[in-house]
Parts: sequence; C-alpha cells; structure tokens
Amino acid sequence: MADIVQQPATGSQNLQQAVQARAKAKRRVRLFLLLPALGIIGIFGLAPLSIALIYSFLEPGTYGGVEWSFSTDAYVQFLFERDIFDDTLGFNSAYLQIFGRSFGLAILTMCGTLMLGFPVAYFIAARPPEQRNAWLFAITLPFWTNLLIRTYSMLLIVRDEGFINLALMKLGVIGAPMQMLYTDGAVLAGLVYSYLPFMILPIYASLEKFDFALLEAGHDLYASRIQVFRHIIIPISRPGIVAGCALVLIPALGAYITPELLGGGKKLMIGNLIAMQFGSGRNWPFGSAAALILMAVVLIALLLSLRAGAEKENRHG
Amino acid sequence: MIDVRHVTKKFGEGATAVMALEDVSLIIPEGSFFTLLGPSGCGKTTLLRLIAGFELPSEGEIRLDGDSIGHLPPHKRPVNTVFQNYALFPHMSVARNIGFGLEMLKRPKTEIAATIEEMLDLVQLGAFAARRVDQLSGGQQQRVALARALAPRPKVLLLDEPLSALDLKLRKGMQSELKRLQAETGITFVFVTHDQSEALAMSDQIAVMSAGAVQQVGTPEDIYTAPQSRFVADFIGDTNIVTGELLGYDGPMAQIRFGEGRSLSVKTASATLVPGPVHVALRPETITICDAASDAALLIGTVRDATYFGAGSQMSIRLEDGTEIQAQVDRPSPAGTLVGLNCDSAMLQVLAD
Repeated sequence: MADIVQQPATGSQNLQQAVQARAKAKRRVRLFLLLPALGIIGIFGLAPLSIALIYSFLEPGTYGGVEWSFSTDAYVQFLFERDIFDDTLGFNSAYLQIFGRSFGLAILTMCGTLMLGFPVAYFIAARPPEQRNAWLFAITLPFWTNLLIRTYSMLLIVRDEGFINLALMKLGVIGAPMQMLYTDGAVLAGLVYSYLPFMILPIYASLEKFDFALLEAGHDLYASRIQVFRHIIIPISRPGIVAGCALVLIPALGAYITPELLGGGKKLMIGNLIAMQFGSGRNWPFGSAAALILMAVVLIALLLSLRAGAEKENRHG
Repeated sequence: MIDVRHVTKKFGEGATAVMALEDVSLIIPEGSFFTLLGPSGCGKTTLLRLIAGFELPSEGEIRLDGDSIGHLPPHKRPVNTVFQNYALFPHMSVARNIGFGLEMLKRPKTEIAATIEEMLDLVQLGAFAARRVDQLSGGQQQRVALARALAPRPKVLLLDEPLSALDLKLRKGMQSELKRLQAETGITFVFVTHDQSEALAMSDQIAVMSAGAVQQVGTPEDIYTAPQSRFVADFIGDTNIVTGELLGYDGPMAQIRFGEGRSLSVKTASATLVPGPVHVALRPETITICDAASDAALLIGTVRDATYFGAGSQMSIRLEDGTEIQAQVDRPSPAGTLVGLNCDSAMLQVLAD
C-alpha cells in the first residue's frame, strides 16, 4: 500500500527536478543569445559615453588629449570665466548663448519640419496604396546624396551670387544682393531641409492605416473641417508627431555640417562648439562636458514631455 | 419628410463620366422606416450620401421638411449616419464617441452627460461607457455607432448597410433592435441594403432601385405581391415569370389567357399594354399541383426534379413553351410526370415589361 502511494510522489519529484533543470538551461541559452545585443550596446553605446564622462572630469592636455588628474574645471568653465589676473570666477554667458541659439534653432527646425512635413505625410497617406511607395521613394531620394553635397548646393542657392539673389535682381525686386548666407535664417532653412524626411516618415506611419471614413463621420456629427482636424486627425497622428519631433529636435540640436557651412562658423551651434574643443580648441574635457550637458538637458526635456503626455492620456482615457 | 426632386449624380466628366443616379424623385415620409433596396452599383448608397451631404447632386434638389439642404455641407444638416464599418473614433472612449456630436454642437456639459447616459441605456451598453471602442465586439461597436448617430437627435438617421458586417444570428437580433429603436425614437430611418429579406422584414416602405433609378416604391407587401416590373419581381424573393396572352382590360384588371385555357382577371402593373404576349409574375408558394387533364390546370408542364427543404419541397417544372419554373409543394410529383399547375388568380401580376 505504502509503496503504491510513494510511487507517484517520487514521480512528481523527478518531474519537478527535470522542469527546474530545463528552466535553468533555458535561462543560460537565453543569456548566451542576448550576448551579441548586449555587446553592441556596451561597446557602441555605454563605452563611448563612459569615456566622455571620464574625460569631462580631467584636465586638458597641452596638445589635445587629457592629463590624468581630476578636475571640475570643464563644467565650471561652461558658466564662469576665470580672471587671468586675480583668479576669481566671473559669470560668462557666451556658452549659454550658444546653447540658447542651438535650442532656438532646433525648436524652430522642429516647427518648420512639422508645418511642412505634416501636410506631405497626410497627402501620401491619402494616395491609393499602390502610389504611396513612389511618393515615399521621392521623399527619401535626397538621402542617396551625401549631406555635405546637399548642404553645399544649398549654399550655392542662397549666396550673394546665388540663384535667389540673381532671380530677384533680374526681376527688379532688389537692387543689390541680399545677405542670406551666414545668417541664422540660412542655417534654419538648411536644417529644415536636412531633417524634413525624419518628420514626414513617422507621421506617415501613424496615418498609413488611417480610416478616411472617420473624417466623414466627424463632418456628419457637426464638426467643421477645422474641428475634424483638431479632434480626429491630430489625436490619431499624435504618436507620429511626437516621434517626428524627437527625431528632428535631437539631431538638430547637435547639428554640425549645416551651421558650419551655412552659418560660416560665425553662428555657432553646440555641435560646432564641441567639434572646436576637440580640434583647434584642444580642450577635450570641455568638449566632453558640453556634449554631456547637452545630453542631460535633452534627456530631462524628453522625460518631462513623456510624463506630460502620459498624464494627458490618463485624463482623457 | 425628405423630398428628393429630380436628382441626378454624375461622377467624372465627359466621356468617362459615370451616371450614378439619373433623375431620381422620391418622398420619404416623416417617422417612417424607409429602405433603399437594390443590387450593388444601383445608386442606393450614392442617394444616401447625397442626403447625408458627403456628395452634392449634379442636378436636382433635396428638401428636408421644406428646406432645401442639397447643397449644405454635412455638418450643417440635421442628419446623422451609421456607417457600414461603423467609423468609430478609435482614440475616444465609448462615452466620448457618443457625445461627440453634441460636443461639436456646443451643448452644455450636463446635457451631454445626460444624453450619453440615456443613449447607453437605449442600446444596452451601460457598463461599457469607459471602454475603448477597440475593446468591443462587432455587435457592440454597431450599437455604439447607432447611439452616436442618435445622440444629437437628428431629424433623419441614415444607415448604410449597417448589418452587413455582422454574422447571421447577430443580424437577426439587430433587425428587431433597429425596428424597436425606430419606433421608440420616432426618427425617420433611411436604411440601405441589398438584402431583400432584410428589407421586407424591417421596412414601412421600400424603394427598389436599379441602374441609378427608382423602379418601384411601396410597402413590403405591395412590392412582394404586386411587382411592377420584371426587375422588381426577380429581385424580391423567388419569382416565376411566365408568358401569357393579354386579351384586353376590364376596368383596372387585365384579361389574361394561358395557352388554350380560360380567361382570367389579373392585377396589372400597366393599363396601356397592347393585347398579345405579356409577362406574368407567379410566386412559387402560390402554385398548387393538379391533374394535367383537369379544368383547373392553368399551365401544363413536365416535372424535372424536386428538392426537399424541410417545410416542403421545391419542384422544378418545364412548361410546354420551354420556360423553367419553380413551385413549392407539400408532396412532390415524381420526375417525368405531366402535371397541371393551378394558382389563385389574385396572386398573379401582369408586369409592365
């Protein structure tokens, strides 16, 4: 009797052990399969960031590179200027101004690409499915050419002897060429042009499955065209708008080539400032610090906007 | 009351233009359940969209209670639509979907909340107010679409094949639910369908449409028992169309004879046909079988085959002139026998074409 009762108990014990062993093996395999991904994130993501973080707390070497002694000078330098004579710290807003200009230009770039990109994305989403790929191809076509070349051609258009000035002078609108190159306007136009596809593509993705019967339903329920746009089209494409804004704002903040060429190095943006520290400035710690400060500001802004978005969602839910 | 006057709708221009509706005139009485019935491409949905305002007529006029509305945009018409695929707003809760129309009309918040409550009760979805619409089943989405369209209390509710996406059992349930809602609210329902049994079951009046024109308007009984044309007779239920000889008219009735038989007094769709061969509609369930040699036999034919369907059998019979007709009988005769067909002459109808 006792034997018979025991039998199933050992059976289930064995089963349990087998299940546990299997689960353990599975975990090991899973970890092993994750290694390549973890490796890539570590080598290309975390390692460079760590290097930048470490360098930002070191002293600059005379011919570039770093001296291995701890210093917070790089961060202090960002806001203050050390007087050459009495070594006191005075507030210096020069770098803050560059940050300010960068944020201003990046936000304007985001607004510009949104204003231009949204109608284009909507237009493509409203085409018959078999035509859409051709339109998307046309949008991505400029990517096939190097950004440097595209920016140079922009330069040729806006310079004093460029296409716009020549055309306006021929038409007699202006007597002498307008100064357009090396202005904030030129940099903005260049940025909008470069980043437009990054706005169009995510908005298109969010509108791709859009049911256009919803527009009729809205009109039918007493919504005017503007109300339909506000209450139906915008909320449904919001994920695409948010993604597009992030995809444009973040790289626009760190833009280098466009302000370098179209701003002529006079209208500095953060990207130029950082590049300068690693190049002619020979101040690697300060370059690293500037890059990390930029990253911190962007991260905080993103987190805040995400939280605001989530709260909005909750209230409407 | 909706008064559609000489409405024509053309899509496109020139040689490639498609005529969707051609000189359609129709009166839809207030508070009725009115059905536009026809095969796909007959123009019924175009007519509905013209009343909703999604399309504008190429010619003609649409009046609602005397006011011309044919050229107003959809959001200025006191008319709401239940769409074929519901077109519910995916980013809003059930309650906000239902309240959307009133919100756009800038009604006070308390009124909107009360109406949403009332509509949820009306369509029996009280527990689902806070749900997202994509968490609902097809039948529930259908009811939300109904509630959303009814909430602003439109003068007319337009329904564009709203039941076609539901399975058979749900569809039957929704048919009676729609009838109930129409009776409870007293709102004029204009219902578009290609399903003739649905139209017969639900409507106060049916307009049968084909090729961009209204073929016949009448109560379901009118349409079924007194079809005017071959098209209507064919489209509504199963019909046999046989050839008889028109002898003349006796008041409103036509005098008809089949073969060498006696003359019959029969309802007619037209009082202006010339004597000679005419088409007569004969419903399968009105036919009785008798001896071929008997006096009662109006038509004589040979039994081809019979199909049992539970409540009776469907017999296929070939007449002497080669026409194949269907008859529903309790007990079928064996294939190959010569039988006589009899029918109450009140159930026959002479067609106009």
